[in-house]
Amino acid sequence: MVELSEKLVKGEGRFVDDIQMPGMLYLGFARSQYARARILRISGAQLTHKEVNFDIAEVGEGATEGGSELLKHPVLAKDYAGYVGQPVAAVYSDDRYVAEDLIDSVDIEYEPMKAIVDPEDSISREEMYPGVKSNAIVDRYFGDDFTPDSTDIVIERKMVNRRIATNPIEPRGVVAAYDGNKLTVWVSTQSAHAIKEGLSEALKMEPDRIRVVQVDTGGAFGLKGGLFPEYVVACYLAMKEKRPVKWIETRREHLLASRPGRGAVAKLKLFAKKDGTITGLKGEVIVDNGAFTGGSGEFSPIFIVKQLAGAYHLPNAYVRALSVLTNKAPQGPYRGAGRPEAMYFIERLMDGLADKLKMDPVELRLRNAATETYTSPLGFQVEKSRPFLESAIRELNYEKYKGKENVGFALLILYHATFGGESARIKVEDGKVRVWTGGNAHGQRHDVFIKTLLNEELGVSEDHVEVMKGDTDMLAEGVGAWGSRSSMVLSSAVIVAARKIREQIEKKQGKYTVQALLAGKWDHYEYFNYDRMESSLGANLVTADVDDYGRVKVKDCLSYYDLGRVLDPDNARGQNAGGAVQGIGQVLSEELSFDEDGLPLITSISDAGVLSADLVPRFDIKFHKSESPLPSKAKGVGEAPTIGVPIALSRAIELATGKTILETPIKPEYLLPVEKE
Amino acid sequence: MVNKKHISITINGEVKEAEVEPRMLLAHFLRDQAGLTGTHIGCDTTNCGACTVIMDGKAVKSCTILAVQANGRKVLTIEGLSKGREKLHPVQQSFVDKHGLQCGYCTSGMILTSYWLLKNKKNVTEEEIREAISGNLCRCTGYDNIIDSVKDASKKMEEEGDPIEEQPEIKVRA
Repeated sequence: MVELSEKLVKGEGRFVDDIQMPGMLYLGFARSQYARARILRISGAQLTHKEVNFDIAEVGEGATEGGSELLKHPVLAKDYAGYVGQPVAAVYSDDRYVAEDLIDSVDIEYEPMKAIVDPEDSISREEMYPGVKSNAIVDRYFGDDFTPDSTDIVIERKMVNRRIATNPIEPRGVVAAYDGNKLTVWVSTQSAHAIKEGLSEALKMEPDRIRVVQVDTGGAFGLKGGLFPEYVVACYLAMKEKRPVKWIETRREHLLASRPGRGAVAKLKLFAKKDGTITGLKGEVIVDNGAFTGGSGEFSPIFIVKQLAGAYHLPNAYVRALSVLTNKAPQGPYRGAGRPEAMYFIERLMDGLADKLKMDPVELRLRNAATETYTSPLGFQVEKSRPFLESAIRELNYEKYKGKENVGFALLILYHATFGGESARIKVEDGKVRVWTGGNAHGQRHDVFIKTLLNEELGVSEDHVEVMKGDTDMLAEGVGAWGSRSSMVLSSAVIVAARKIREQIEKKQGKYTVQALLAGKWDHYEYFNYDRMESSLGANLVTADVDDYGRVKVKDCLSYYDLGRVLDPDNARGQNAGGAVQGIGQVLSEELSFDEDGLPLITSISDAGVLSADLVPRFDIKFHKSESPLPSKAKGVGEAPTIGVPIALSRAIELATGKTILETPIKPEYLLPVEKE
Repeated sequence: MVNKKHISITINGEVKEAEVEPRMLLAHFLRDQAGLTGTHIGCDTTNCGACTVIMDGKAVKSCTILAVQANGRKVLTIEGLSKGREKLHPVQQSFVDKHGLQCGYCTSGMILTSYWLLKNKKNVTEEEIREAISGNLCRCTGYDNIIDSVKDASKKMEEEGDPIEEQPEIKVRA
């Protein structure tokens, strides 16, 4: 059960920067120092756009088809730089220190332009690129326009979730090698198959000439499902020089030029009757896309808007979904990827409505929780939430806190990215059961639950099972590990594959025995198709105090999430505590901020606001277990805390300070007490 | 090319001699030259603690120490904790038993900082653990399971002692 942990505690993991090969080259990038500039001349570089003339392919979580050619991210900048940190030219050496030196010897001449920084300004500014019709790359309405009742109460709020860096402790990284025909890529990733697909498209290479192998992956949080410019350049160079090439991101590069998440503004009006029954929602959501496509900026606003009913019965809605160009790195998925934003917006409106009506916020939620499953006017199915909410109020002991503490409460729906299904392969040989899956773990310990499931399905003990890392040569297709999907579709693919192996054995030998399994040679590849998006409910309760210096102390942080069948309780608790810390970070400290010229103000992981152990409480995590319809009976694990915790904590701080909280992170000076005259 | 310097560092009880550029970081020396890739690099700015090693009895961040500064010193890396023994070190065992890791990238530094704490303090409280590991960032676990691991390790260290044999004292060169 603990094989992988035992390796990792001895320092015997194999992460991408641990790979050493004879003749290996280290790659480095000269990056734009301006948020928006014409590039007039480049000298001293070994690789520029003139030679490496590729665009990035959009793959992974939140990838969309099509899109404007003009907006595609060039792997090395053409004649235009769209954000600080954009790769402009590449250098390399067989010594990593010399490669660093070479970056400094690249001379780039720029003609700076006035940057577009604030997403709310973007539409009224001139087009970012010649030929682009509008700075709004997504502009769509959802729902139907409606006329609110003139006696309705209106809560109108502008709410902001500013950009956050994903900040896995292991930065991005890749090693590429080429044997004259086949390109092999070792990468820290959530999806070996997405990387393969993206490289094939970007490099215009036949897919069967590319093999992508996942190495131990030190956290990802949405970031590492996608393809990046640096990876394409590493592959190009490996093929050009016929030498292995390594690129490892520095933290500073991560903060400048990886794909940060959040970055959404909502201007919404919630309508309700005087008894608190909500009647409609109007307004707009604007996503800060950044300068190019390639992340999830086209997907995000639509995904956010479709979820805006929250877990409530919302009869009318009409909301505009916008994604706009700004001079920043492309926006990408960060743990929750649109779910935290959507629930933050509707839940903060609900708290505002409760205050206006002088109602208890939880009472207001009870009044509006969906009593039947229905499809919201914005598009998504909202599951019946009232019974869950009633049990959450009990399980989280809300009555104990109510009126005595600064207590915030959140009700959430987690929409799982189950669509697309997932693959698994089980191969038995020499008494060893090896398993490959399309979703690649990066801290979720898929190996633990896969062994449990194989024990249940095939009676095989854990020590005979080896859970392999992602490898596109060993598995025909695959999707990826994101969107709280693996406990649902990956586990189900493993279960179905195991059942097919059992059938193979029964067919050949009359009956199934473990001995027959281990003595024979068996191989089954299963693509578990699933075209529905499942959902699950969750709730959080957070209490906090704020001192005279505006410092927030999070006291209790309680979670109650519907996990269906809990496949690995230890890990589910660990993931949920980890997500809760990220949720607290979003409210208190985590932000990638920029000045008015689009220059990033954040230069270290601490500036970026990642919280340490002394700043967070112990977490109380409870599970509700209403089984899913999938073979694994499980529901999603990873994203509920990053959805619910920011909501409940914002409310707790609001009660502690008497100040309305509508933005994350909260600027500390905003929480300072007002000086009395 | 800058003149290389000769260094001699006792790493996990073995003397390692090399010629290095003065600018080479200890973390890169350990990883690229001594082949000890258990020491990880996460932030380059002494914030995340993934590169923590024990140097002359103190937990230090090897990404902001030059290899030449470690000349003549004793360095203990994650590989040294259970080196030459079949069993894991009690601190390593506690991290396995109490699920103190998920992706495993911060783990080496987290374990060595915890080891340093437990060598210096008995019966540690939760608050002391949180303070001690506040220079080590973990993005996966939310710290609860790490704290439980350190508490468990504290007990194990009391009961089993520290299996790392005392290394001979090496005089630090002036």
